[in-house]
Amino acid sequence: MRFAFRTFGRGTHPPANKFTADSPLVRLDVPEKLYLPLSQHIGAPAVPVVSVGDSVAAGQLVGESGGKVSARVHSPVSGRVEGIVSRPTASGGKCAHIVIVPDGEGRRVSMPVLGQPSPEEVKERVREAGIVGMGGAGFPTHVKLSPAKKPEFFLVNGAECEPYITCDCRLMTERAKEVVRGARLLAYAAGADKALIGVESNKKEAYAAILAECVGDDLGVSVQAALLRTKYPQGAEKQLVFALTGRRVPPGGLPADVGCVVDNVHTAYAVCRAADFGEPLTERALTVGGREAGRPGNYFVAIGTPFSFVREMTRGEKSDDDLVKIINGGPMMGIAQSGLDASVGKTTSSLLFFGEKEAALQEPTQCINCGRCIRCCPMKLSPRDIERAALEKDTERLEELYVQSCMECGVCSYVCPAKRPLVHAIRLAKKTLRERGGGK
Amino acid sequence: MKNLRVSSSPHITSPATTRRIMLDVIIALMPAVIAMVLLYGFYPLVLTVLSVSMAVFSEWVFNVVTKRPQTVRDLSSVVTGIMLALNLPPVVPFYVPMVGAAFAILIVKMLFGGIGKNFANPAITARIFLMLAWTGVMTRFVLPVDLSDGANLFAYFSHGVDISLPDAITTATPMQHIKDAISSGGDPAEGLSALDMFLGRIGGSAGEVSTLAVLIGGVYLAVRRVIDVKIPVLYIASTALFTAIFFADSPYVGEYVWTYLLGGGLMFGAVFMATDYATSPKTPVAVVIYGLGLGFLTVVIRKFGTMNEGVSFAILLMNIVTPLLEKIKRKPFGTPVKGAREIFAEIGAKFGKKSSRDEEGGECVG
Repeated sequence: MRFAFRTFGRGTHPPANKFTADSPLVRLDVPEKLYLPLSQHIGAPAVPVVSVGDSVAAGQLVGESGGKVSARVHSPVSGRVEGIVSRPTASGGKCAHIVIVPDGEGRRVSMPVLGQPSPEEVKERVREAGIVGMGGAGFPTHVKLSPAKKPEFFLVNGAECEPYITCDCRLMTERAKEVVRGARLLAYAAGADKALIGVESNKKEAYAAILAECVGDDLGVSVQAALLRTKYPQGAEKQLVFALTGRRVPPGGLPADVGCVVDNVHTAYAVCRAADFGEPLTERALTVGGREAGRPGNYFVAIGTPFSFVREMTRGEKSDDDLVKIINGGPMMGIAQSGLDASVGKTTSSLLFFGEKEAALQEPTQCINCGRCIRCCPMKLSPRDIERAALEKDTERLEELYVQSCMECGVCSYVCPAKRPLVHAIRLAKKTLRERGGGK
Repeated sequence: MKNLRVSSSPHITSPATTRRIMLDVIIALMPAVIAMVLLYGFYPLVLTVLSVSMAVFSEWVFNVVTKRPQTVRDLSSVVTGIMLALNLPPVVPFYVPMVGAAFAILIVKMLFGGIGKNFANPAITARIFLMLAWTGVMTRFVLPVDLSDGANLFAYFSHGVDISLPDAITTATPMQHIKDAISSGGDPAEGLSALDMFLGRIGGSAGEVSTLAVLIGGVYLAVRRVIDVKIPVLYIASTALFTAIFFADSPYVGEYVWTYLLGGGLMFGAVFMATDYATSPKTPVAVVIYGLGLGFLTVVIRKFGTMNEGVSFAILLMNIVTPLLEKIKRKPFGTPVKGAREIFAEIGAKFGKKSSRDEEGGECVG
């Protein structure tokens, strides 16, 4: 049923460049020092519950959630706490990191395996294991599992529409059973009786693997796999809800408003590991890509591994002198890094190492009014007009243009033939609105 | 490690550039240029070269004089130059396209801020300017080269070169013929052949006469996604629709529809002129109104106006309306779609303020 791929309106087709789609997941070594960020999620940072000099076991709680919307942090290794320091994060700011020196003794603590859990027990386990949305936003998952009204669908995002990134694809291919089980547990905990796993059509192998596991209705949940059209941004929350259910999340609303909860496949995998194996979230799959990565591939990396260590392990024959840009995340929405000081967090899905050719950006020229940004905007906004209003700091006009609905997916800047930095202008516009205090 | 480049996402851009888009438009214009040479010989090609040279030169001079970054490399003035030449009768004096191209670039485009900022299509505005300035030569059309006897190949070089053409060679265009039919009540298609009009074997503007060549270019632009296909489709469809409406009382309504579609540069206007980036609307609702408005104005001017042809003026007028059309607000994805009842209730609340206030008051009391 090729013609029946589900999808959304507008969007664009950047070259997929999924060179690492066939590289199996490999476990990366543990570095000499781990720097565990205490703020790897949206909401309040975690509060350290260990002090300098303490010895910790793998899986031991080191950061307690610092509020209602917050998540726990666990140590990935057995070792000794060397300090609590402020270091740069992958998203550009700074936050407190717990420094752990592994001792190689392999002490491990784990939570009891859940046999026949109730929805409340699953929810509690998700909270205990420190699970957050691993697609990028990092929203604490246990908060999502308590929607105001009972959802009908639990949607699992396996679109992975960003170019280069393949870790979710590999996870679905190699760990399909756990992903499906996780989706089932999540739907069960949220009170939905249907879980839908959406996979983009360029990941046939992953789709087949997931489909083969989608049997039975344990816990009263039926899990289904759905093929999505390969189009960017297919994995954006509102676009995914529309593609899978035909429902439209209203502006400023949440998927819960239309009876859906959305989470990423890696989150589902983590939930399965937490519930059925008692493991807290201390490692994640990560894609290393770009032409300047000597050993590109998909790796299981311990949370807290510094980027510099990842680079060292995957540099291969390449030289750091040819490195022009390092991106945390995909090329469409990822964050360019000023160095390799940050460390892998729960939301770090990829590290891309770009050389001159891949990182080349052209100088912006005058807007020719071609309308591509307007025609392609998945949120039906008018980036051309927003840019104009943003440069004039016309806040009234900006609100009329619904700037706040922009999810900064990057489609407008990508398609612009004049190479105008439209997303950047929109970020400025949002900032202008915030500073004026009116930004809702 | 060197200094890393840090920039705001996205970190990749599409291969589309302004220059590539303009190159695509030039490629799409080539069938019309070839048809022009086949039909009228080499003289209009010389005019095209003059027009393009003047357009590029004007933009270059403007940028030099006003000390702006040089923009001629984006090829947009080449496009304007070709379009203007294709819009002229095949036998105008050589200085006409040159003056027109300079006017199009300097007055209509550069003075308003250059590419993307002009409020009206430069080529169309220049053509209207030339119509007013040299009405005589701008309305003198000739028949295509007659190839019925082989010896006439020489005509490719001589055709139209002599400016003081004897009246015998000039011809009435199909649009003139149709105009006469409107006033006399006769058959507009009398003596016209649909095939000739489709291939361009009629009198008319040099590059517009061949519907076939224009459509080939249009398909190319559509495939390359350079133009918004909705605009030409809506324009052509609404022209057919409004022709059928306005000539509903005529026994020749069918003839009016096909002659109006094939004649008078409608296809060229729909594919190349109405889709001009700077002057066409971009939001879906505005595009629909724009397309319908173009067809309506074209038919109104053709039927009721003093001029034979309405495409240029229709496009110019809708260009001017475009900024207004774009004021129609676009709601973001997911905005609940209002049902008809809610829309009526809203309109009722707006116009019948009194009654709505009464209702509110009633509720308060209750």
